[in-house]
Amino acid sequence: MTDSILFFFEVFVGGLLSGTMYSLVALGFVLIYKASSTFNFAQGAMVFFAVLSFCGFMEYGMPFGVAFFAVVLLMILVGLLTERLVLRPLMNQSEDTILMATIGLGFVLEGIAQAKWGVEVRKLSLGIGDFPIPWIADNLKLFISALDLTAGLVAFGMILLLTLLFKYTKIGLGLRAVADDPGAASSIGIPLKHIMLLVWSAAGVVALVAGMMWGARAGVQFALIELALKALPVLIIGGFSSIPGAIVGGLLVGAVEKVLEVYIGPYFKGGIEAWAPYMLSILFLLYRPEGLFGEKIIRRV
Amino acid sequence: MEKDCKNILEVKNIEVVYDNVILALHNVSLKVPQGKIVALLGANGAGKSTTLKSISTMLASERGKVTKGSINYDDKVINNQTPSEMVGFGMVQVLEGRRCFGHLTVEENIIAGAYSRKLSRGDLNQELEKIYSYFKRLKERRKSQAGFTSGGEQQMVAVARAMMTKPKMLLLDEPSMGLAPQLVAEIFNIVKMLNEKEGVSILLAEQNTNIALKNSDYGYIIETGNVMLEGSAKSLLGNDKVKELYLGISKGKRLNFRDAVKDNEKKINKAH
Repeated sequence: MTDSILFFFEVFVGGLLSGTMYSLVALGFVLIYKASSTFNFAQGAMVFFAVLSFCGFMEYGMPFGVAFFAVVLLMILVGLLTERLVLRPLMNQSEDTILMATIGLGFVLEGIAQAKWGVEVRKLSLGIGDFPIPWIADNLKLFISALDLTAGLVAFGMILLLTLLFKYTKIGLGLRAVADDPGAASSIGIPLKHIMLLVWSAAGVVALVAGMMWGARAGVQFALIELALKALPVLIIGGFSSIPGAIVGGLLVGAVEKVLEVYIGPYFKGGIEAWAPYMLSILFLLYRPEGLFGEKIIRRV
Repeated sequence: MEKDCKNILEVKNIEVVYDNVILALHNVSLKVPQGKIVALLGANGAGKSTTLKSISTMLASERGKVTKGSINYDDKVINNQTPSEMVGFGMVQVLEGRRCFGHLTVEENIIAGAYSRKLSRGDLNQELEKIYSYFKRLKERRKSQAGFTSGGEQQMVAVARAMMTKPKMLLLDEPSMGLAPQLVAEIFNIVKMLNEKEGVSILLAEQNTNIALKNSDYGYIIETGNVMLEGSAKSLLGNDKVKELYLGISKGKRLNFRDAVKDNEKKINKAH
């Protein structure tokens, strides 16, 4: 009896922790959604681009920290160029136009990354093993991967940082104002281009961190772009515009898909993991379309 | 208008076109003397908002363009500036329909107005207190989410937020829209006080001709993108045409707009 409870717990915690990986990817989407009210289809490509560049820099012989810093700068540059070449010419266009532009941007980033660094799958070692932590395994009899735990902690740290940034800094207030009404924000002198630059750079850095976590687990490869689409159910469940939503949504998706896979999967001959989150998101779309933490649409009548 | 008074804003014969095809303003000229309140009056679609937006350069965000004429503000030619540059020059527009940041609190909304200024924490609090001294109602509601406050309070938030940019010139677009008469009076009182105590020059677009003229120094009436009539607020309030068409008072009795137009048509037909 205790064994089966322990096993459930292990599956559940494992799911939660792998869910933080989804949260990390979803976080990038939320940032851009807040500022432009658009789903950024290029986010997956940004993850791929960032982590592939990181691997490439490491291959040039840069130490870990230097390579990380270089990619952070690179992603800020990507944000700068995106603002200047894509967003500014499209300013005042509809959200759909910008949505289409992000699809194009995604292809461009994928293309550049592959042209520069090649297409082969790379291994990324962060020095953290993807195997159970012995201490926890011995004392609590839970098998929890060190990589999962690290990803969880990193995700938690990033969320804390971003939440503080939005809640308590001036630029955070500017961002929230732009998220509510870009026209009114610009009428009182909040420069939209600064906000866009900030958001795209932050999304780039988040993409790098997410890419490193995923890359360490699954290898740095093109499939990362598809993985990033898992963020869609995460966002539908958590709410597109909410940072806590991205986190809780990710955890929920991770836990639900693992638990369902283990307990119900056998009846379907496995493979539930791939579609269960999407089913869950359909339920949310039907009964709670703004998601768990999404901002309710306030409208006076 | 006194002759020696400097004009902070001069609009000369502007024509405005939206989307390269829709002609919204034909020929609008107006002046705002430093420290005065000027009312821009007219019906729906007359071009009041377009005039204000061409001055504040918010027009570009709606794909509109000033194609003829010139705008001079504070000895600068207004041409290709962005709204945030205009805020830097001390000009701010309160957009039609209040446009509060609904998910931010009332206080956050007001603080957002100071975004373009570099203020220390202490200075910011001082500015806030000053704003609250005009908008006492907002101080009580400072922690409420702006989206859930009443229409009148939202209009006050919008004006307070704009005042936080420390403007020399305030453009108000229909502050009375959708508000109860009592609240309209309250808001116009505050606007008048801001003008007197802070010395801010004001150009306000209004459909509510009566209250706008009672609180202004000078007025322009525009119709289908042209200035039809201008004069001191007092002279406009006494003008027969204005009384008939905009105040609904004719020969001592009240008439509605439609009757006034019919009367006018009759006169025109007779003249033919």
